[in-house]
Amino acid sequence: MQGQNQQQAYDRGTTIFSPDGRLYQVEYAREAVERGSTSLGVRTEEGVVLVAEQQVRSPLMEGSSIEKLHKVDDHIAVGSAGHVADARQLVDFAREQAQVERLRYGEPIGVETLAGALTDHIQEYTQTGGARPFGVALLVAGIEDGEPRLFETDPSGTATGWSASAVGADRDAILDDLETNYRPDADLDGGIQIALQALASVGDAFEPSEVAISTIDTETEQYRTLDHDEIEAHLDEIEFEADDE
Amino acid sequence: MSEDRHRMGGLDSEARATTPELGGASGGEDGTTEVKTGTTTVGLTAAEGVVLAADMRASAGNMVASKNARKILQVHSSAALTISGSVSAAQSLVESLRAEVRLYETRRDTAMSLNALANLTANLLRSGNFQIVQPVLGGVDDEGAHIYSIGPGGSVMEETYAASGSGSPFALGVLEGEYDEEASVDDAETTAARAVQSATERDTASGNGLSLATITDEGVDIDSYDRVENAL
Repeated sequence: MQGQNQQQAYDRGTTIFSPDGRLYQVEYAREAVERGSTSLGVRTEEGVVLVAEQQVRSPLMEGSSIEKLHKVDDHIAVGSAGHVADARQLVDFAREQAQVERLRYGEPIGVETLAGALTDHIQEYTQTGGARPFGVALLVAGIEDGEPRLFETDPSGTATGWSASAVGADRDAILDDLETNYRPDADLDGGIQIALQALASVGDAFEPSEVAISTIDTETEQYRTLDHDEIEAHLDEIEFEADDE
Repeated sequence: MSEDRHRMGGLDSEARATTPELGGASGGEDGTTEVKTGTTTVGLTAAEGVVLAADMRASAGNMVASKNARKILQVHSSAALTISGSVSAAQSLVESLRAEVRLYETRRDTAMSLNALANLTANLLRSGNFQIVQPVLGGVDDEGAHIYSIGPGGSVMEETYAASGSGSPFALGVLEGEYDEEASVDDAETTAARAVQSATERDTASGNGLSLATITDEGVDIDSYDRVENAL
């Protein structure tokens, strides 16, 4: 048993490097993210768009109880991919940080500041004994100084800024689509179309109940969730490549 | 690092938020330089909302420390409170309430009831961190219009009308005579302004105009007047 496979020891604790400098638990957490349903974010001239796939596994399930997009404060929201329960913990951490910022400085928290606070928190779990990393990647979207901002966090605790991005299943294929079709001068409706078209490019057709859409407008700086009819109207414009399969 | 883990919900980082990030908190307040508002504030319910009113003087001993003190502060989409007592404690209380209300509403995607808001305010006062504030809380929720008189130690009493501050005996005299629970919001504004006017005539620590707030299910609207008479 002992020494049966020396390499196994490296993936038991997050605090243990493998000889080639990797943290296996963090890489396994990234696997969990890749198996999660996709969330997309698109920055536009008028604000930021978040779109998330949500799987209603049974008609008996209340669709509204699946939460994939989370309001953090009036002007900031989070989309996630990976372990939903881990995401909820991070969302609550973010909500607290947003109010702590208002208490301490009397100002709304910046998107970059919040993404930094989140990744500092996530990083602690890659360096603390007995803990496991967060099995989730987040898209942090919001308005800062009148500008739309979009950040992505990963299980290692790194934050990166994006014009448009996706986390979760089919990320690479969706990024390919976004790289081709992203337009920085799109309006909010255009941003929703770019995100939905990218999501449609990798899978089967989906119903309005299978997707959540939220926006944060640059002008109002307010988070807003689109209702069923609005989503349906947007989906009518989308061409599903998989239709003929 | 580790004590941070497994934290339950609630704004328990609040203590750290309101103390300096670097260096310790300053020593306890001795109160000698504290600005205290000898004040008159009132709140009353009307048929379709509530009205809050307050004078605009902040005093430090015999000196008028401010002639433009805002003593009615919004803490919720359809609620506000009047403050009397220590200005620093009151401002801190209001910031804490705003943070708690936002967190509650963001987490639950529903507005906080006035009953919950009154109890939250009382619990914060009961903690001893906000000495000494005596608010009158007013607002509107699904159940209608509410006025709460909240004691500095954290007592909660729901009233149809209430007053706080050094001028409150004079203001209550007017409210006793003129309060009408069927009154329109406009008429209730007049009653509230008269109550504060009466107090500013007889209480040296109250004066310098009037703040007047109306709260209906459409939201909170706060106006100020250089002279109380302008609101009548």
